[in-house]
Amino acid sequence: MAGMLDKLLSLDRRWIFLLVLLCVGTPIVLPIGLPVTTTGSTRAAFDYIESLKPGDYVWVSFDYGPSSAPENDPMAEAFLRQCFAKKIRVIVCAFYPLGSLGLATNSLAKVTAEYPNLRYGEDYVNLGYKDGAAAVMRRLGEDIAEGFPADVNGTPLAQLPIMKGLRSIRQVQLVCSVATGVIGEYWITQVHSQIGTPIIIGPTAVAAPKYYAYLNAGQLVGMLGGMKGAAEYEKLLAARYPDMARFYQSTRGFTATKGMDGQTVIHAVIILFILLGNVAYISRRAAQKKGA
Amino acid sequence: MNLEFGRLALVFLFAIIPAVGIALGINSPGLRARIPLLVAFFAGAIPIISLYVPKKFLSGPTGMSPRLDQWLIIVYAFAILLGVVNVVQNSTRKIARRESGWPFSIVLLLGLFATGGAGIYGAISHHGITSLPDGTATPFKWIQDQFFQPLQSTIFALLAFFMASAAFRAFRARNAEATILLFAGGLVMAGRVPLLEFLAVPFPPLQPAAAGASQALGKLTEWIMDTPNGAAQSGIIIGAALGAASMAIRVILGIERGYLGLGRGE
Repeated sequence: MAGMLDKLLSLDRRWIFLLVLLCVGTPIVLPIGLPVTTTGSTRAAFDYIESLKPGDYVWVSFDYGPSSAPENDPMAEAFLRQCFAKKIRVIVCAFYPLGSLGLATNSLAKVTAEYPNLRYGEDYVNLGYKDGAAAVMRRLGEDIAEGFPADVNGTPLAQLPIMKGLRSIRQVQLVCSVATGVIGEYWITQVHSQIGTPIIIGPTAVAAPKYYAYLNAGQLVGMLGGMKGAAEYEKLLAARYPDMARFYQSTRGFTATKGMDGQTVIHAVIILFILLGNVAYISRRAAQKKGA
Repeated sequence: MNLEFGRLALVFLFAIIPAVGIALGINSPGLRARIPLLVAFFAGAIPIISLYVPKKFLSGPTGMSPRLDQWLIIVYAFAILLGVVNVVQNSTRKIARRESGWPFSIVLLLGLFATGGAGIYGAISHHGITSLPDGTATPFKWIQDQFFQPLQSTIFALLAFFMASAAFRAFRARNAEATILLFAGGLVMAGRVPLLEFLAVPFPPLQPAAAGASQALGKLTEWIMDTPNGAAQSGIIIGAALGAASMAIRVILGIERGYLGLGRGE
């Protein structure tokens, strides 16, 4: 027994890496289709956007980079799909320095291709990237054009029909920040607390625990915590919109619902590793005590 | 140009005083510390005062604080330039001295100049940095899509392998605190995913019971995240905010001077 435990504790980590690869890769290639249960914070976010009227403004901020794209991309795309399905006008921007603009452009291109009737500059606009997120957000409360004088193509905001009559972020009905770091908090402290615009956050699972404090304080309308939150949102969208149910079932692209299969298997494996490691550790310690 | 008080005051405080300070500081090291302290005092005090004083009283309908925000956005942009200069200096020094890993510094500089050059070209040619008028990707966007995104995703994906290995080797119930952490972490990991449904996949008769148990576990997880975690996070956030406020006051009053980067006797 002791020999087996020693062998287990000194297992070459490359075997662990191989097991992780198989556990993550297999469910992505061969989906299991595990069920996803929804939580209150995700339902609150979904219901808030559902309560908006056609023609309202939603500001979607891409505050993440490629490192967390598998978690954050499905959230951002789900927000965009819901807004476009409800004919809500969408303003997109990017505040994360490491590649958020590219992700925003790609997600916007992908989702708008599903809605051929949408017109750039009238139904949605991409304002591009701006450095110094907190300072820019403060300016958005006074005058959006001071933070973003032109869109991503260099067109002045005054020439964009969607921006006509929209001077301040006070007039925007909701901000959805899909965030990986501290920028999500800036939206709460600089925009919600000082201007009052409602905020929904879509953080990575690692960042989500911090946002429960803001959620409990009523400073967030809702939250999508990591890939689980994104999968919940996809489920709610599929239940509400039959077109999207068909899309999420048939798409060959990556969705959070598909990702949850891989995440479930790898969670099971990590829990198993923790248990095995602790059984071996406790047994060895007991044996050492006995020997002493 | 509207020569209002606020605009003149800001130019005086943040342009003329620092310029005079730099000029005097060349010959008088003692002044090097005093002038930045004065600038830091006004830069910190004006946004605070502007929250309590009516805007019109200070500087017309716009106020002074919004102008400082605009300047802050410009300063952020210059901070990027500072970073670029720092990377170039360090990398060229490494290459010149043939220090360990110097070929990577060549790759770093090539990446920096290729990406930065493509971005600057996009700005100069007025095509922007995302797409050309015909809808195709700009060189900057191409570099980002084909190099930057896959590389960053790959580096981050490696974490999954190291986390699994670390879970096996390091996450031990060594004492009471570690055991509580281990137990709570295990519960949250199990409750955030349909783990019980997954384990019941080979046993169809157990699936309804697994679904029920999974829902209960999910609710327990939500409670852990919502209540003990939420309370602890609130405490951490409030504590950090108070710490940041006290540090800001120390900087404004000139008690904290570490940011000046001065040597002894200055």
